Amino acid sequence: MKRQAYLAILAPALLLATRLASAGPPGQLQLPSFDSLTGKSSQSVNITLDGTLLGLAASFLDSNKPEEAATMQVVSGLQGIYVRSYTFNKDFAYPTAEVEAVRKQLVPPTWQRLVQVRSRDQDNVDIYISADRGRADGLVIIASDPREFTIVNIVGSIDLQKLHQLEGKFGVPKLQLSVGK
Amino acid sequence: MSNDLDASLRAALRPVDPGEALTQKVLAAIEQDTAPQPGPPPTRQSGWRWASVALTVALLVGLGTAHQWQLRRQERGLEARRQLIEALQVTSAKLDVAYRVVNDEENTENGS
Repeated sequence: MKRQAYLAILAPALLLATRLASAGPPGQLQLPSFDSLTGKSSQSVNITLDGTLLGLAASFLDSNKPEEAATMQVVSGLQGIYVRSYTFNKDFAYPTAEVEAVRKQLVPPTWQRLVQVRSRDQDNVDIYISADRGRADGLVIIASDPREFTIVNIVGSIDLQKLHQLEGKFGVPKLQLSVGK
Repeated sequence: MSNDLDASLRAALRPVDPGEALTQKVLAAIEQDTAPQPGPPPTRQSGWRWASVALTVALLVGLGTAHQWQLRRQERGLEARRQLIEALQVTSAKLDVAYRVVNDEENTENGS
């Protein structure tokens, strides 16, 4: 009888601990693998940079070069950058269900949608931010058009002002963002 | 008198057979003296030689391993750097799409 009581307490505790361990830091999404798309897409970008790799990448940036110094500024405070981007030769060849599965994780109160863009050319962009005590600790961009979809998840302390400083560097387009608005 | 003394001396100093045992003892002693004896100094020298060879080999293996590790770290670092720049490019490009669409809509509204 005692043993059953211990098990009744221990099992949920273990389940909770496992969930917490697999959840990752706040602001990090559980991204599907999208393995099946690698063969179907004409172009794919799959980037997984956790905190360790970000630190390693930053150590190979040259602080004497202005553009790389700006990147170092952006990276400092980040715990991970995850990018999944696929381009196809046919319209809507990507699995909308998997994209929806990502969207379903982006719910209040953890996530707030900053921007929702729906254009006539079917260029759709959603930008979500996760904040804890007024401090942003996660950013997600879901962008799709008929032949492409992209999911970006940036984890950690995000400073849009610093991201803005990258304009025109490394081929980053001029964003003309009104930071602070 | 002198004859007695002479006889006593002859008796005392007469040749006596030492026996087989003494012969064996002497031969054994000679053999022991002439045989090469393994002394401690040569053994110690040989030990040092092996130790220095082992140390040199260990040092070379260690240096090689460290060099390989450094090369692998550099490869990983450069790849991570390339991915970081690509990730920032993709992020900025998508933010730019959002900006352009919003900006176009604002311009259309203002124009109409």
